[in-house]
Amino acid sequence: MSIVIQASTRATDGPLLELSDVRTHFQTPRGVVRAVDGVSLTLDRGRALGIVGESGSGKTILSRSIMGLLPPRGTIRHGSIKFEGREISGLSRRAMRELWGREMAMIFQDPMTSLNPLMKIGAQIAEPLRLHLDMSKADAWVTAERLMRDVRIPAPGRRLHQYPHEMSGGMRQRIMIAIAIACGPTLLFADEPTTALDVTVQAQILDLLGEQRRERNMSLILVTHDLGVVAGHTDEIAVMYGGKLVEMAPTRQLFANMKMPYTEALLHSIPKLADPSHTRLNVISGRPPDLVNPPVGCRFAARCPYAQTRCREQEPPLIASVEDPRHTYACWYPVGSPEYHEAKERRRREAELAA
Amino acid sequence: MTTSVVSSQPADRAHERSWWQRLPKGGVLFSILWLGILVFLVVFADYLSFIRDPDAKVRVAGRLQSNYKLGPGYSAWFGVDGNSQDVFARCIYYARNSLQIGLASTVLGLLIGGTLGVLAGYFRGWIDRIISILIDCLLAIPALVLAVMLIFRLDDIKATWTFLGWMTRKWQIIMTLSILAVAPLARIVRAQTLSLREREFVTAARSLGAKNGRIITKEIVPNLVPTMVTVAFTGLGILIAAEGALAFLGLGLTESWGFQIESNRRRLEKAWWATVFPCLMLLGTVMAFNLLGDRLAKRFDIREAAV
Amino acid sequence: MAGTGKAHLRSDDDVLLRVEDLVVEFPVGHTGLKVNAVSGISFDVLRGETLGVVGESGCGKSTTGRAIMQLPRPTSGSVTFEGRQLTEMGRDEMRRARTRMQMIFQDPVSSLNPRRKVRDIVMEPLSIWKRGTSREQASKVDALLEEVGIDPQRAAESQPHQFSGGQCQRISIARSLVLDPTLIICDEPVSALDVSVQAQVLNLLEDLKAKHGLTLIFIAHDLAVVKNISDRVAVMYLGKICEVAPSDDLYRAPAHHYTQVLLDSIPVPDPDVAATKTAIEGEPPSPVLPPPGCRFHPRCPAASDRCRTEEPQLRAIGIGHYVACHHPIHGDDISEPVVVGQPSGESLT
Repeated sequence: MSIVIQASTRATDGPLLELSDVRTHFQTPRGVVRAVDGVSLTLDRGRALGIVGESGSGKTILSRSIMGLLPPRGTIRHGSIKFEGREISGLSRRAMRELWGREMAMIFQDPMTSLNPLMKIGAQIAEPLRLHLDMSKADAWVTAERLMRDVRIPAPGRRLHQYPHEMSGGMRQRIMIAIAIACGPTLLFADEPTTALDVTVQAQILDLLGEQRRERNMSLILVTHDLGVVAGHTDEIAVMYGGKLVEMAPTRQLFANMKMPYTEALLHSIPKLADPSHTRLNVISGRPPDLVNPPVGCRFAARCPYAQTRCREQEPPLIASVEDPRHTYACWYPVGSPEYHEAKERRRREAELAA
Repeated sequence: MTTSVVSSQPADRAHERSWWQRLPKGGVLFSILWLGILVFLVVFADYLSFIRDPDAKVRVAGRLQSNYKLGPGYSAWFGVDGNSQDVFARCIYYARNSLQIGLASTVLGLLIGGTLGVLAGYFRGWIDRIISILIDCLLAIPALVLAVMLIFRLDDIKATWTFLGWMTRKWQIIMTLSILAVAPLARIVRAQTLSLREREFVTAARSLGAKNGRIITKEIVPNLVPTMVTVAFTGLGILIAAEGALAFLGLGLTESWGFQIESNRRRLEKAWWATVFPCLMLLGTVMAFNLLGDRLAKRFDIREAAV
Repeated sequence: MAGTGKAHLRSDDDVLLRVEDLVVEFPVGHTGLKVNAVSGISFDVLRGETLGVVGESGCGKSTTGRAIMQLPRPTSGSVTFEGRQLTEMGRDEMRRARTRMQMIFQDPVSSLNPRRKVRDIVMEPLSIWKRGTSREQASKVDALLEEVGIDPQRAAESQPHQFSGGQCQRISIARSLVLDPTLIICDEPVSALDVSVQAQVLNLLEDLKAKHGLTLIFIAHDLAVVKNISDRVAVMYLGKICEVAPSDDLYRAPAHHYTQVLLDSIPVPDPDVAATKTAIEGEPPSPVLPPPGCRFHPRCPAASDRCRTEEPQLRAIGIGHYVACHHPIHGDDISEPVVVGQPSGESLT
């Protein structure tokens, strides 16, 4: 007997996930690395959130902090993480284990190394079913085959008895998805799920994630550096930089009405198919901030083309935009403000003089 | 707002750890202290007043302390052995031999084994096959048997080829231990070379027009150094232990801890100090090198991971 | 096995590199099978041009790049560089020829020797070939390092792991320029870098190309990146070339169905554009047992019986635009078997 396991529809009012000033710092010989430094956001049931940032922005650490998958020693955590109304940030690993697989699950970037090379595929998918749902071995294997069909693996009956090394990267990623959704978690984390895959396979995997999400009424947190990926597959986007949340908005809003110069710069530095060849790409000069000694003021100020004195002295708070209260950003002189235009004009004149 | 602090140290005062917190911990501290003090004593043994001449007979208030009369105490720190000689002094002077033999064998072993390993790993093909067969043969013979065979053979060779008369017993042992060390070292170096030659910076060097010799010396060997250093330290420990074993069996030097242990062990009940202290010296020295080798392995591993 | 044809080769005097019927095969262990990484492709690059080679993993693009450098030598086929046949050169002659063509690799950190100082790494080619006095060498290296945006002082004291990925890639670029090559083959140089760093490196490559009069072959899997930097793009699939066209034309009017699939799969950072619907199912077959006829036919929406048996050859369907397909998206369908033309750039009918 196999069953499609839907996410539990436990009646809780309010958002599925609530983060309040979450900080994750690591002790290193060099000092304390403030990987995540004060992130607050909420996620509703059934919604897809994209967390966008470059390496060092803290996006991966954030998702691991929520899941509780952090190294046991040398980690310092602050802030509150509420899952379905329940505080989970201080829970022990044993308590978190109740949640892992059953309520929240994660798929990782590298499918090559994320599967156990010595276990059959069927056994790996059946494992969470037997562990969390107490299924019998027979039931679990039948459900595993059904799951493989759901994630569109051809000839699932035969593949159940194969080993990971006999499958391609795209198929391994599907297996990971099957394992993650096996027990019908309410929240699925996808940490750069397609970065290691070819572009055609990437599209397949993203579609699959979207489809499964809708069928199972699951929330999805998609962590990536690719703005193209989040544009098509998320309801809301959160942009991270230097360990902080710098902008968050519903997807359409974000692209239509970017506020943070960083988001704008990021978008303009991507080569787009629609542009003619040899288009000069917009470059963000400088390097990401040092997370051990973050700069005073706005963390992007050193690289921001529109930075003013205030930016370098005071850190801008996260405020809601006037047009849409769901759109929050942290910038003193956001895109579109008078100071922004002034600074842009000034730079244009400078560039003309230099040319 | 909940705060869960998982580590016990206050977060922001990482730079202010006191000097005693910054010392290397545990095993490494022991190793450095032990070896440091030992080497100091060995080097300056002739000038330090509290180390007697190892062959001199110990006298207390003018009276010869014969035949294990004195236990460890003020007059003789490690006691006196059957020939009225100071156990402590002998331990220190024998340390000199052990360290010399260990060091020389390791260096020779690294040079020969390292070269063979690099050639085998880099060129592959028939060179690799010949060298690998050689290594496998050496490894197939149990170490002790090989050592015994070599020592006796060297004795014979010395008898026939008189120009090898300079080869003292010490050198014979060094040669034997080097040959013992060649096979495992060559194996390790070969494995490392095999993986290094596939790295992109080697392809890059080749695409720049570098010849094989240059690639080996400038690209491969510098990357072998961390491994070789680590293996050298651990190997030193093993070779010193091996030297002790040979001396114990009577095949090595008579001026050695191993020989001390052997010649005094029959008196273990009555005069334990003459046996136990050389044992402890051997144990301490081997352990010190091993611990250092371990720690180095960990440190270089992490560095490789960062790269 | 027939190659994909040479209709698109040009006879200009300005052809810097010409590759004909390149075949690279690797044996699979001792099973007797072989991986057909590259199966008979031909292309050329004009002086000063940037040729982009794009395709997914397993298509043979990286292997092609290395085969041009003869690292290792291809199984068969000819590579003519600056009028000389590389495939027939002896080892020493090849070594000397290599100074005129250089390569930049995908992983910026592992292509630099981790135990050496960066400045020495960049100086290495000059000391291998003993060019100039040590003073001249030093000043050349310092000038190049500054050009790519690395502080020469810091380079003299630091090892690669102390630099970021983007900086390491720039150091690689500096190293490749030190011998004044004419051709640089870039093998996925920006795939491992962050988006903003990627933009820096791409801009840098364009600037250096203009300044030093370089010719580039840019190999990547990201079509948007390739389009941005190339004049001309070749699309590869499973060891064959599907389509060759000027970059703008390729995007505007793709002729091969696989090219269309690639374009459709690329996620566009614009939520108003329809979310990427799965353009194609499944994955490329194994290069050990490639399909007969057109290699793309098992996954092609327009496959016919002909496609299953007869391998299509590259033919012109526009100015400089060539496609290897029996039923291209636009351009004439051909109903009769085609005679492979001479490499003269003439179109075939």
